[in-house]
Order: sequence, then structure tokens, then C-alpha cells
Amino acid sequence: MTAKVIWALAQKELRDALHNRWFLLYTLAFIGLALALSYMSLAGAGIAGFAGFGRTAASLINLVLLIIPLMALTIGAQSLAHEQEQGTLAYLLAQPVTRVEVFAGKYLGLALSLLASLGLGFGIAGVVLALANGAGSPAAYVSLVGRTFLLSLTMLSVGFLVSAFTKRAGVAIGIGLFLWLAFVFLGDLGLMGTAITLRLPVEQLLWLSLLNPLQVFKMAAILDINATLDLLGPAGIYAMQEYGAQLRGLFLMLTVAWIVAPALAAYVRFHIRGDL
Amino acid sequence: MMELGARCVVKRQMSKHASLVAKMLLLLIVAALTLPLHVAASGQVTSQAVAATTQCGHVSLQAMIDDATPGDTVVVPAGTWQAPLHIDKPLTLEGQAWPVIQGDGSGDVIRISAPDVTVRGLVVRGSGISLDREDAAIRSSGANTVIENNRIEDALFGVYLEQAPDSIVRGNTIHGMELPISRRGDGLKIFYSPRTLIENNVMRDTRDALLWYSPYSIVRGNDFATGRYGLHMMQSDHHLIESNIFRNNSVGVYVMYGTGFELRRNLLADNRGPSGYGVGLKEASDVLLEGNRIVNNRAGVYSDSSPLQPETAVTYHNNLFAYNEIGLEMLPNTQRNRFQDNIFLDNGEQVNVYGGGDLTHNAWAVDGRGNYWSDYAGFDANADAIGDLPYTSKSLFDNLAGSHPELRLFHLSPASDALDLAAKAFPIFAPQPRMSDPAPLMQPPALPDTPGLTPPPTAINLAAAAAMVMLALSILAAGTRRRRRQRHTLSAQAA
Repeated sequence: MTAKVIWALAQKELRDALHNRWFLLYTLAFIGLALALSYMSLAGAGIAGFAGFGRTAASLINLVLLIIPLMALTIGAQSLAHEQEQGTLAYLLAQPVTRVEVFAGKYLGLALSLLASLGLGFGIAGVVLALANGAGSPAAYVSLVGRTFLLSLTMLSVGFLVSAFTKRAGVAIGIGLFLWLAFVFLGDLGLMGTAITLRLPVEQLLWLSLLNPLQVFKMAAILDINATLDLLGPAGIYAMQEYGAQLRGLFLMLTVAWIVAPALAAYVRFHIRGDL
Repeated sequence: MMELGARCVVKRQMSKHASLVAKMLLLLIVAALTLPLHVAASGQVTSQAVAATTQCGHVSLQAMIDDATPGDTVVVPAGTWQAPLHIDKPLTLEGQAWPVIQGDGSGDVIRISAPDVTVRGLVVRGSGISLDREDAAIRSSGANTVIENNRIEDALFGVYLEQAPDSIVRGNTIHGMELPISRRGDGLKIFYSPRTLIENNVMRDTRDALLWYSPYSIVRGNDFATGRYGLHMMQSDHHLIESNIFRNNSVGVYVMYGTGFELRRNLLADNRGPSGYGVGLKEASDVLLEGNRIVNNRAGVYSDSSPLQPETAVTYHNNLFAYNEIGLEMLPNTQRNRFQDNIFLDNGEQVNVYGGGDLTHNAWAVDGRGNYWSDYAGFDANADAIGDLPYTSKSLFDNLAGSHPELRLFHLSPASDALDLAAKAFPIFAPQPRMSDPAPLMQPPALPDTPGLTPPPTAINLAAAAAMVMLALSILAAGTRRRRRQRHTLSAQAA
């Protein structure tokens, strides 16, 4: 396993991403929506006479929660399945490269293309915000971008896992879309219903919701911007009082676990599958 | 008592009935008793006052105060002076170049028990830490006390006025002790001291600035931060609170049980925590909030049973509610509140009814003019700057969160938006509106200035955003630029 080969394969992925219509569509949609949201939130920036990043950040978090998992899941789900369906994976593996190198190269390439897409979306929106004095502290904005990137990696890993278990790209994307629905809507709605009917105590509600990497991202982003989780009501206040300064570490740990575990499982499956 | 070689100056005002000769004699006797003779020669006589310069090493500050006659100005030179001090006659105690009055860590540092005492230009530190005795840096029980331009540090209670009416607390800096909030004292406690003026003070790390049974007091131009309640008024009526900054407290201004409050042009920002409010109103009647900026608090204004007195109102005029988690949090028993020309800008939730219910017994527009709501989605066909459709606050998720507060955990989740969307699409779920502004403004009204506004760091923000775009472009460039070399690498591997 050499870095050179992995980088070469990653570059190939980056190039493919630029030719991938899904990827271009998502990127353009993300840039467009981020710009539109920033522009709309600027309506009030002048009146407050104040560095405020409240609602802009909130709508950006909302946008990220919707579109980034969709983007990363579908791209991840296509990754191995698509190449296998096309037969290019067999061709690639016939080269003197190991399966680790192929897997790592693909992951790195797709991760970088996601980072590029995020950089463009947040960057262009950020220029608009900064010019109109609508942005708050630069640290909050940069950390929001960083956390979004980590979120996209968790979803990319889950996408790879789906891809490793399916042979056809269509099926993989279908499963990816269902998972997106589950992560974004069904999980939270189910948890809300459960909380109301079973009268879950706040600490259980908090921990159940932390199983969802999207919720982890949301709480971490709010913590970065507001420095507290007051916004999230009793559960947020409980989290602040119970874990306080350890929350950031906890969020990071959960996120890394969601990045590493599915990616490892996907690699193991990819390795032992053997077939092409 | 500390001994000092510094020069102490006592300026004596001529009392109206004392003769000049008697004054001179007294002075000479005092000088002769304590000091070498040559100093007496430097005594200066003017038509108005007799001033004596004395070399007063070996004399404590308390002894100088005891020696002074009522109406004197005791000038305290630089240095460290041991306390406690007790001032029991009308005097002016004036520091030159910040002398330090050092308490011994128990009880009060300076205690004033006479009217017409002025304490100015001192550094007062080292009170006791007993909450039972309420140990204070400066405690006064005399009318017309003036506490001016002092620096109070390391004190449990800062300035404590106890039955000291018509006093002035002005231009002081008060720093509390490094204690957990439950063991701190009040930076300012004004107790049974009506008509007190509290002006241009800076207060940090204490519990409250407390006004208790001290009607007609004025609080103006202060900066109170990092305490529990920035300003806390209890059972105290008729106050003007003007041009202050209340920041990073648990509650900016808490008004409890009283009548007649005017809050004008204050900045209430970043007041957070479990009960973080910009302004809290509890059973307060006849309240006017005008031109305040209420920004980035957990709840901008929290209102419970206000106004309490019948025939009175709580009036909100021309305030800014921006970036709070909840703009306005009211208990359903809140009635007779009047809102006009306020700006509700991008609060997480503009108006919340605590515990569910509605707020329809309040006037959300006065004289056909309502408020500006940043999430208003109506139109203005007749171009009179007033929206043709009423602004209503109804959201299924917000209603749910009102009765099940733990569900706020899902705030900002797409799932909570989906719930609201479902409520719009299938009106069977549609919640009852909690309030309705019949005449919402299309454009935000102009606001008066408040202290403490800071512009955002535009240049750094711009640089950060530009760096992100550059990063993205360089990643894309890295992927496309080296096509030839990559092929080369692969074929080399193949070979």
C-alpha cells in the first residue's frame, strides 16, 4: 500500500466526480441554496447594528442537514457498485494495485471532492455575508464548515457500506435514498413520537438522539455558534450541566466512530467478497 | 494600623459659626501634638478655608477621620491603608492617585453611618465573605451619600446602601470575588434607599445589582456583566432604566413585583442559562420598554402575570428582538400588553407561550400600526407600508414544544419542519394561532442608538470565505492537472 498509488486513484476519483452529473447537480444546488439563504438572512443584518449570525447559521444548519447527507450517501453508494456494474472495477483490480489501495483511493478522492463542493458553497455564501456585514465571528463559520465536512464523511462511509453490499448501482442508490430518509426524517419523527407516548426522560431522549450522526452534527454546530445548548430546551440544558466541557469531545468521538466503523465494515466486505 | 511616611492632607472647610482664630488654634494644637514644629509653618490661610499640610506618618486613616470636623475633606494620598474604616460624621474622603483601602478579610471595609458623606477616588478591597452579615466594601446608612469614581475589588458586596436615601453611586468599577454564583454577594445593593441615582458604573462577576424597596431610583449608563441578574428590582416602584448595557448575565433586568418602570435604550445581550432572559417581568405593572436592543439571549423577554394591577399595561415600543432563541416568552396569563413598532428579527421562535395556550388578549398593534416580523409572508397591495394579511404565529412543532419542552431537542431538524409542512398540507393538524398582529409593518422601523454596539469583523470574514473558495478550487485543480503524470505512475507500477 503506497501513498502514491492511493493519490493517483484519488485523482482519478476527483476527475470522475467532475464528470458525474449527480455530483455537479448537488454542488450547484448547494451553492445556490446557500447563497439564497444568506441573501435572505441579510434583510435584517443592517437593522440590528450588530454582529449577528443567528438565523443565517440556523438556516445553513438546516440546509446542511438536508442536502449534505443526500449528496454523500448517493455518491458513496455509487462508488463501488457503479464501477463493478460497469466492469471498470475488475479492470482496475487487474492492475498491480491492492484492494486496500483501491478502497482508500476511492474514499480519499470522494472525500476531497465533497470538501471542494462544500468549500465552494460555503465560501461563495461567506463572501456575500461578509460583504454585507451579515456574518458573525469567522471562527464560528469556519467551524461550521469543518463540522459539515465531518458529517459528509460519516454519510460517505455509510454510502460505501451500502455500496460494498450491493452489486448494482441502481439498488445501491435506492438503499442510500431510503437511509437518507431514515437519518433525516424517520428517525427523528419516530423519536418524537416515542418521547411523547412513552414520556421518555430527557437523558434517554438525549442519548437516543445522539445515535443519529445528524443530531450530533446539529448539536455540535449549535454549541460552536451559541456556546450553549439552551436552544434545545431541557435536553440541551441537561447535556450542558451533565457533560459541560466534555460535550465537544463526546461529539467528536461519536462523529469519528460514525466515520470509521462503517468504512471499516465496508472495506472488510469489499476485501472478503472476492468476486468482481 | 499601617504606618506611613506619606503626606496626608486635611482641607478644612470653614464652618459658618466657627471663627478663624479658633480654627487656627485647633490646628496648631493638633500639629504640635503629633508632628515636628516646622510643618505648622506651611499651613496656608485663605479667605474661604483653612488648609493644613501635615507630615502625618504614624497616623492611621481612621485617626485622621476621627480628627476631622464635619464638612472636612480628608485627602488620602497614594499607598495602602488598613481598614476597616468607620465614617460617623459628614466628610469627604478623597483619594489621590488611587490609594488602596485594604480590608482585613472580615466584615465591611468602609462603613458610613452619617449623612452627607462622599467617598471618591479610592481602591477599596478585601471585605469578609459572610453572606449572613452581608460583608461589603462600602456600606452606608446615611442620607445623601455620594460614592464616586472608586474601584472596588475582591469584595463580597460592593456598595451597600441601607436606608441611605437620595444617594449617588457614580462611575465606580466593581469586581466581585471568584466564587460560585451561590456564594457571591450583590455588587450593588440598594435597600430602603429611595431616590438613589446609579450612574456610569461598571460591574463584573457579582451576583445582582439589587434595588429593593427603593422607589424613584434611576439607573443610567451602567455596564453590568457576568453576574446573575444584571439589575434586579423587587418591591420597588417608579424606576427609569436608561442607556445601560446588561450582558452575559443569567438575566439582564429582572423586574419583580412593582409598578412604574421605564426601560429605554438599553442593550440586553447574551444573557443565557436555564433561565436566561434579556428582561424578566414578574407581576410588574405599568411598564414601558422603548428603544431597547434585546439580542442573542435565551429568551428576549419573559413575562409572567404582567401587568398585575388592573387598569395598567405593559407597553413595548420600538424595541429590537433579534437572534434570541425565543423572542418573547409569555405565560398564558399575560394580558393587556401593547406592542407597536417593534422589530422581531430572526429569533429561533418569535413568540412562545410557556406551557401552551394563546396570547390573544394582548394588543399586537396599536392605532392600526403593528410590528415588523422577519418571517412575515404577506403582501402590501395598497402600498401603505402595512401588510394586508395579519401576521400569525402558529407552528405545530412550536405548539408541541410548548406542551412538551423536551422536544425542543429536535429544533432545527428537518423533521420539525416536516411536521409544520404536514400541518399546512393537512389542515386537520393545523394548530390554533397563538397570537395575531393585524397590522404588521412591511419595513423595519428605525431604532434609536444604544450603547455597546460592535460591528462584525468584515475583513477577517471575507478572508476566511475567500480561503474556502481557494481551497475548493485547488482541490479541483489537483484532481485534473496531473493527468499525464498519473498515467505514468500507474504504468510504472504495472511495469
